[in-house]
Amino acid sequence: MMLHYFLRRAFLIGFVFVALTVLAFSLSYLFPGDVLTNVSGLSSIQPEQQQNLIQYYALDQSLLQQYIAYLNRILDGEWGLSFSSQQPVLSEIIAVFPATLELASYALLLSFVLGIPLGLFAAVKADSFLGKLISAITLVAYSIPIFWWALLLIMLFSLTLGVLPTAGRINVLFDIPTTTGFMLPDIWLSDIAYKAEATQDALRHLLLPAVVLATYPTTVMIRFTRDSMLAVLEQSYIKTARAKGLSRAQVLYHHGLRNALLPVIRQIGLQFSTLITLAMITEVIFSWPGIGQWLLDSIYQRNYPAIQGGLLVVSCLVIVVNMLTEILHTLFNPLARKA
Amino acid sequence: MKKFRLYFEEQNRGPLTQLWQQFQRQHAAVLGLVMFSFFLLLTIFAPLLTPHNPYLQNPDLLLLAPSWSDQGLVQYPFGTDDLGRDLMSRLMKGATYTFGIALVTVIGSLLMGLALGAMAGMSKGVKSSIFNHVLDLALTIPSLLLAIIIVAVLGPGLWNTTWAIMLALLPQFVHGIRNAIQDTLKQDYVAAYRLDGASNWQVLRYAVLPNIWEHLTVMATMALSTAILDIAALGFLGLGAQAPTSEWGVMIADALDLIYLAPWAIALPGILVFASVLSVNLVGDGLRTAMKKRREN
Repeated sequence: MMLHYFLRRAFLIGFVFVALTVLAFSLSYLFPGDVLTNVSGLSSIQPEQQQNLIQYYALDQSLLQQYIAYLNRILDGEWGLSFSSQQPVLSEIIAVFPATLELASYALLLSFVLGIPLGLFAAVKADSFLGKLISAITLVAYSIPIFWWALLLIMLFSLTLGVLPTAGRINVLFDIPTTTGFMLPDIWLSDIAYKAEATQDALRHLLLPAVVLATYPTTVMIRFTRDSMLAVLEQSYIKTARAKGLSRAQVLYHHGLRNALLPVIRQIGLQFSTLITLAMITEVIFSWPGIGQWLLDSIYQRNYPAIQGGLLVVSCLVIVVNMLTEILHTLFNPLARKA
Repeated sequence: MKKFRLYFEEQNRGPLTQLWQQFQRQHAAVLGLVMFSFFLLLTIFAPLLTPHNPYLQNPDLLLLAPSWSDQGLVQYPFGTDDLGRDLMSRLMKGATYTFGIALVTVIGSLLMGLALGAMAGMSKGVKSSIFNHVLDLALTIPSLLLAIIIVAVLGPGLWNTTWAIMLALLPQFVHGIRNAIQDTLKQDYVAAYRLDGASNWQVLRYAVLPNIWEHLTVMATMALSTAILDIAALGFLGLGAQAPTSEWGVMIADALDLIYLAPWAIALPGILVFASVLSVNLVGDGLRTAMKKRREN
């Protein structure tokens, strides 16, 4: 049963990857400019080089063979050169990607820690003043444009009060050697004398972007947990459990919570792509050196190989997270395995 | 409505009236509807209502403060920007861009989604399975990323953004419409209609569509709030509407240099984006609740 399910998933993920690479591959043709330049990323191609390059990238062969050559290059880690820096795209992505992951994971964590309890509270006390207040605030926060919200917080905390920094991951005075690419683990792994100060500074830089980025997922989490809990509380097994004489807390924990959180797991996967989109905007505003800012810079510079690579990486991340949450959901929920 | 009911009367009102009755009871939703109508009117009539030409630069009145401050002029309620253009006229004109174009993209996307969703919903077997996989792919790519790629191919600009957002919204519409159609097709009344000899088209036109349009409206409101936010975000990032256009996101990006001097030039367009999205969300939530309550009754 489970094996069959995993096979189906594996087939699906394979199909999606193929379709995604086809899309990325076709972009070299869709983007303006010379195909060879777009594929290789070389800004100036000498005439004597040209023939070799055309053969290397299999551009003289059929589209199918070109695509296969492209797949081979992707798997070998040859993603072409960035127009602007003439560095390999893949190494640039590896350099900026952890920053995005770090920001997104803290925001996601924050949205869990805040969103689930608040959502449960709003569902259990749906008619009380606090419950209604939570729902109202959620609706308001759900409608805020993220870039404006970020600017408001910057105006308040950085410009007016002057308590938080506006840009970057850490003060440039701190010299943190890169090992993992994640700022906080890097600080703890390094052997520098000023660890405590660096940690504090990194946290201060992290606070505003993480709060801004967490706003949307938190509201979605609250709304979703609330709706899901309200739906569960109306089920007859809840009445049965009450009728058996279980206390309110027991019913909520054993029968309500477990069933209500099942769809929430799935929601994480669905919201992840929105989270990445918002992370890109947040990165631009806070000059956070992640893949979002890098990708947007690539667009301003018409850096097509970089856009292609960025698309591939970001979409793969979203697909993998989607798949993982779906598998988790299935593991926890036997009812979902049939579909 | 009569206050006392002397006799037992069965109330058989049309579905629309019932929906409106349930909708009316939610004050927040009605407030949302009022705000929504306000923005809609502003979108249509902005060119007639603006007190000044939104693109006219007045070198004598650069960076005028809003009229509530001592340095402000009452003719310029929200002051002027760094080129001496009246902020209020620009904000009003901006409704046409941000709100109006969001409406256009959603309507366009809805129509395309309806056609594709109907094809997907009415088909079975391998065709439908392939369609699902393609949709799954399209749904995994973040809408803004998709829009950014389309803009990268086509080049920045308001019309390219419109296309990009239309295409980015399409997958969720197709997905939602397909599911709604397939749910409806399982109903007994559809089977009965088929037994009467109805063709696929007749089933779709007379049995399915009248039963999913509410669902469509709720989907459209959700898409509208996404569209407004995406247009403003793309404008803010410099990928959508370009500088002289008074799109709200562009206006915020323009005012960034003046964040110390004129914070209101950032705050006001943001409030409008926020208010328009909030009104759409209030209406959408209200509609959903009203639909649920009507079903229960």
